[in-house]
Amino acid sequence: MIKQHPLIILSPVRKDKLETLDMRLSVIREKLQKGTETEFRKVPTLHYGRWVILSRDSFRDEPAVPVGIRLIFSTNFDGDKDNHLNELVTNLTKYFDDIYECCEGYPEPGARTTESRKNYLEKYSIKTSAFYNGAPGRSVQQIHQEQALREYIWNFIKNNKWDKNATAVEMHRAIRKEVESKAEFAWSKQKAELPRIFNLPNIVVFIGYTILLLILFFFTTALMLIFIDFSKLSFIASFLLIFISLFLGLIQLWILFIHFFHERRDKNGTLTLSQLDDKKVNELKKTEDLFPQNQFTQVAVMKPGIVRSFNFWIWMLRTKVLAGRVFIKGKLLNIPTIHFARWVRIDNGKHVLFFSNFDGNWQQYLGDFIDQSGWGLSGIFSNTINFPKTHFMGVLGALPGMPIKFPGTNFLLTGGAYDEEHFLAWSRSTQVPTQVWYCPYKHISIKNINNNTSIRNELHKDLNDAQAKIFLKRF
Amino acid sequence: MTPIELSEIQAYLLNDLKEMGYSRYYLLKVKDATAAKKLIASIAGSISNAAVSAQDTSLNIGFTNTGLIALGLNEVNMHSFSREFREGMVTPHRQRLLGDFDSSDPSKWQWGGPANERVDVMLLIFGKNESGVDNLFQQLKQELDAGFHTVHILNNKPLPNDREHFGFRDGISQPVIKGSGIKPAGNNNDINPGEFLMGYENEYDIFPASPLLLDDKNQGNKESLAADVSGSSFKDLGRNGTYFVLRQLEQDVDGFWKFLKQQTNAPDTKTINEESTMLAAKMMGRWPNGAPLVTNPDNENDPANKSDENNFSYYKSDPEGEKCPFGSHIRRMNPRDQFEESPPGISLKLTRRHRIIRRVRSYGEDFIGSAENHKPNGEVGLLFGCFMANISKQFEFLQYTWGNSPKFKRLYDDPDPIIGVRECPAAGVKQNFTIPQKTVNKVIPDLQSFVTVKGGAYFFFPSVSVLKFLGTL
Repeated sequence: MIKQHPLIILSPVRKDKLETLDMRLSVIREKLQKGTETEFRKVPTLHYGRWVILSRDSFRDEPAVPVGIRLIFSTNFDGDKDNHLNELVTNLTKYFDDIYECCEGYPEPGARTTESRKNYLEKYSIKTSAFYNGAPGRSVQQIHQEQALREYIWNFIKNNKWDKNATAVEMHRAIRKEVESKAEFAWSKQKAELPRIFNLPNIVVFIGYTILLLILFFFTTALMLIFIDFSKLSFIASFLLIFISLFLGLIQLWILFIHFFHERRDKNGTLTLSQLDDKKVNELKKTEDLFPQNQFTQVAVMKPGIVRSFNFWIWMLRTKVLAGRVFIKGKLLNIPTIHFARWVRIDNGKHVLFFSNFDGNWQQYLGDFIDQSGWGLSGIFSNTINFPKTHFMGVLGALPGMPIKFPGTNFLLTGGAYDEEHFLAWSRSTQVPTQVWYCPYKHISIKNINNNTSIRNELHKDLNDAQAKIFLKRF
Repeated sequence: MTPIELSEIQAYLLNDLKEMGYSRYYLLKVKDATAAKKLIASIAGSISNAAVSAQDTSLNIGFTNTGLIALGLNEVNMHSFSREFREGMVTPHRQRLLGDFDSSDPSKWQWGGPANERVDVMLLIFGKNESGVDNLFQQLKQELDAGFHTVHILNNKPLPNDREHFGFRDGISQPVIKGSGIKPAGNNNDINPGEFLMGYENEYDIFPASPLLLDDKNQGNKESLAADVSGSSFKDLGRNGTYFVLRQLEQDVDGFWKFLKQQTNAPDTKTINEESTMLAAKMMGRWPNGAPLVTNPDNENDPANKSDENNFSYYKSDPEGEKCPFGSHIRRMNPRDQFEESPPGISLKLTRRHRIIRRVRSYGEDFIGSAENHKPNGEVGLLFGCFMANISKQFEFLQYTWGNSPKFKRLYDDPDPIIGVRECPAAGVKQNFTIPQKTVNKVIPDLQSFVTVKGGAYFFFPSVSVLKFLGTL
């Protein structure tokens, strides 16, 4: 299985070259929009690539530290980083030379070699805090191959003269035979490996948290009042009890601390969408909805202090650990339309960048975020300046599986992303125009990609009637 | 919940006025602002409001962005109206969202497009019959002519039995505003008022964004205006008001039925007619008489009698779309308890955030198409209208995300077969309609567009008090 990784390069732009850079990027952008761009596809490991100019103007709020003009290059790629960098600088040499000669520190024309270019990228590459992939293990090549396979079978089903009484199993066999006879689909016989995923049923998470909550409220109190006679318990039992209670007690304190000493005191965004700067919004809309997929780049300023920083770190840890293993089947925090997303802290953690690539349009995407995971989103971004006020979401939401809401607790968990109008305005106002955005499969949705893999894997299996029916329903 | 101030709300929001057999929408441009305001002030009291029971005529009024500017609302205040309303229906981005290309390109519109005269105000006159409308218009004519120039007139009416020209019973599933005094509809159709009215809580339990009088210097007499319920110190221009989307959609009834018949391959006329009607029903999600496919999957039962059946859902009755295809018009526009991948309870809640109150009337010959008879005389079409508090989240979301996007649910290349098909798709773009069946799905490829946009605009329908205020600008 080929794993996908994020790459991000942040380089300072030469002031005297900003205009040239902007112009060169816009030439590429226009070609991409018209469908006449042919260079990017020379990098076969590239899922998504984007260039974004990040300057003081990109920030909605006063940056926490002075910022110059920088160029962000971000990719999602297959396999080995070194190989990817190699491909970039050898197959996109002209792009890189044209663009990075507008940045500081790029090798002079005489000194440009594969090595020196790569060294440059390495030097300015920075770490991603949390990364999400909606179709883990699917390489660009595989995505294209499986789409072609699906197309082929779709046409076969449509054009074949089927016996009226053909059963699902018979049809599946006929399709399999047909595909097996085609050399170009020989690759499909090898089962697509998928990462092992825990898909915890909601009820398990719910019961788990109900029990945890009970412990939280009763045991910590009980312990504090020393109702338990520890001399009668075994050492391990006492240790566990104390450990759990302390741990939960800490969470409890943390929740209250964040809420009363931070969230309630912070200044919060109250602008509506209509009140945002028209010019900026129109600039963003210019490049939206040209394809079935869209992208989102965002920069926000972290709230000052170690408390917010730590809280954000917990969130990143949660996202990193869980996004890779649990609740993943094409869903980031339960959102079924995201291909890749990531958070990157820059400027010593004072600012945070968010990138995503998704199906559908802006309103739908953010609406999905609110509807499916207002908690998660609020938990993460309530640590940034001017986010709409939240109530108790900052910490609670960070617990594993927390997109699930406890019935009846809505009154506690309001604001933030659920404050729809202000949240949308916050999202728009922290969004940054993306100069160049590339994806070789903008017409395939994440649901299509996952469905195509299922088709491939089910095709070469012996299916029973029910399974064969499910298989046929995929077309 | 805050009680709804019915006497402040224009009648058309709460009453479909179907009993009004004739109506005319006057699209007007402000010629003389002073005279225009005088007319507005004088008719403010005659505008039909939702508290008054049905009369012989009904008068309603809407304003475009340019209309409010022409009357004198200043830039600061204009800027507090919703972005979609301020930008209007014709922008390059919105053209992509709404899919207005080829024959539907705004440059070819009869009104509302860049080549047409500006539309500022729309006066909607409803009557029992044409002479009722004429009479009311004559009473207003003198004052109207002093302030306005008539840009375009849209004559329209409801077709018999609530049908539209393709032949289908229309407007069955309508949301009911909670607290409006209208009998609750049940079945997830009772919606918080803030989805349709500004100044009330919506389905997120928050107040929708509402235009405020941010700058009251030289901006009329604000005494009649209500305070902003969401807590600011400004007067609220949106309270009890709503936004209205109007699109004139020409229907190619003959093309529609011919296309369906071509798909059938049946041996005789009777079977062709039956099969094409079945296919039309699959695309619509209901039979021509209105009966839903979920409850009547195989036949229409009683074609002559209209069906108001709306008590159905998808998750249990039709999880695979074998009765009502996922791609069908009604399943897309109101996914009920199957909103994307969400479980039923959550789906119902999410669906409530994307509803519109439809106000659809027809124009052209009184013609109701069918497989047997599908050639009307002259142009026929419908005036699609809908009310909502948030144009982006409601109308535009429905048109783009659920209508035009071919990636609805797990589909690959399926736009809404009724309203989402592009006339000239880009090279390589397929437009299919997938009909899930027991073993293998049936696909209708190469869909064609049978609806052409001929005009459109976004309007603001103010409350009676705000209307009075506009007269004092």
